[in-house]
Amino acid sequence: MQAFNIYLPIAGIEFNVLLLLFIGLAVGICGGFFGVGGAWIVTPALNIFGFPMPYAIGTDLAHMGGKSIVSTIRHGKFGNVDIKLGVSMIAGTTVGMELGASLVMYLERLGLVESVIRKLYVAFLLLVGSYVVYDYLSHVLRRRRAARAGASPLERRTFTQKLQRLRIPPMVEFRVSGITCSLWLPLLVGLVTGVVASVLGVGGGFIRMPALIYLIGCPTVVAVGTDLFEIMITGSYGALTYGVKGRVDLIAAMWMLLGAAAGAQLGTVAVKYVRGYFIRLLFAMTIFLACASVLMKQLEFQVASSILILVAGTAISLVILILLVRGILKERAARRGLQDGFWREPDG
Amino acid sequence: MARRLLRGLAWVAGCRGRKLLLALVLLGLSGGNLMAAGGGQPVTQPVHVVDTEEMAPGVTKWVAEVYNDNLWLFGLLVVATMALEGAALGFLFDRLIGMLGVNLGKIEHRE
Repeated sequence: MQAFNIYLPIAGIEFNVLLLLFIGLAVGICGGFFGVGGAWIVTPALNIFGFPMPYAIGTDLAHMGGKSIVSTIRHGKFGNVDIKLGVSMIAGTTVGMELGASLVMYLERLGLVESVIRKLYVAFLLLVGSYVVYDYLSHVLRRRRAARAGASPLERRTFTQKLQRLRIPPMVEFRVSGITCSLWLPLLVGLVTGVVASVLGVGGGFIRMPALIYLIGCPTVVAVGTDLFEIMITGSYGALTYGVKGRVDLIAAMWMLLGAAAGAQLGTVAVKYVRGYFIRLLFAMTIFLACASVLMKQLEFQVASSILILVAGTAISLVILILLVRGILKERAARRGLQDGFWREPDG
Repeated sequence: MARRLLRGLAWVAGCRGRKLLLALVLLGLSGGNLMAAGGGQPVTQPVHVVDTEEMAPGVTKWVAEVYNDNLWLFGLLVVATMALEGAALGFLFDRLIGMLGVNLGKIEHRE
């Protein structure tokens, strides 16, 4: 393995190229599939293998911009990116991030920042994860009941629909998402997610993706694609700001992007073969694993926490890859069937 | 020139529309996001200098020299490299996955 070691001049360490490619691949697959940046995997993974923390964060942010371009291109061609919605949200997110930063400073002055933020982070992850699982289970139960009754499943009235019915001008149609709502809705959701992301010190993908689904009412894949569009913009700025601070190891970022670009492509195409609710369920599992990792870190099990997140990232990527391969095989079989004179709709 | 730039961005996002102009404006706005998200204000402590004396000529040495000479230039180099590499690899892997016989057209949004 020594043969694959390269010198990273800015981080000032020797690092294995295969490891960079592997971390990139895993985070690329998860990112393309869930619409998240993946800092929760990359930063601890790089750090545990000897990357100094400031460079791990900067290098992660730098490769995130490039990786999101790959995913956004593919999601865009699939028709999953609602640019109008993304732009509307990012304005609110920007203001929200600033407000969140002020709130953090206020808590700091009160000496509460550490304890409050830690508890909030764990509580927030648990809340979001639990709600997604609850939503998935109720969806499955509704479908089963409807199947038994021989009818199509009844759609219940959701909180999202109530929000969409608020007729506060200007009303805007988001064609890709298939929704019409007040412009204030995405602006406010952006603002709230911005505050939460800023206070908790996370990039935002973990928060924005479920917010796009449950508060704005986007189809799951559009939420994934639109979130990646936002990450593409913020990630590019992140690359600049950390680069200017000298906290990016460009050589490491380039190698990692090579793996991440392949992973992002695979993760994005996998979305095509999976129903939205299944993406949500896997996302909830990911959130629980991230939550477990944070809890372990709080209990001073730093190494175990990083190992857990690395193993979890690998396992989730493998699940996504299996879904992708299964989907491709089914699609090819269906096409062969069509050529042979019959057509069977691929399920999944 | 501006139209071309917009068209390029539209291609990247796989969409069309003037709203992309807003996206460009918001790229600047998003600066606040990252500052708040962990970037913080520019560092006041000096950044370490890479020892390039014993490095063999090549990309690594060149990158280290840019890093030592001008951090703003280095920052721009990071953005440009990531954007170009991302776009090139996206194009390449898109072709490769198309060769597997996958239909890469618009998909139905199934929940």
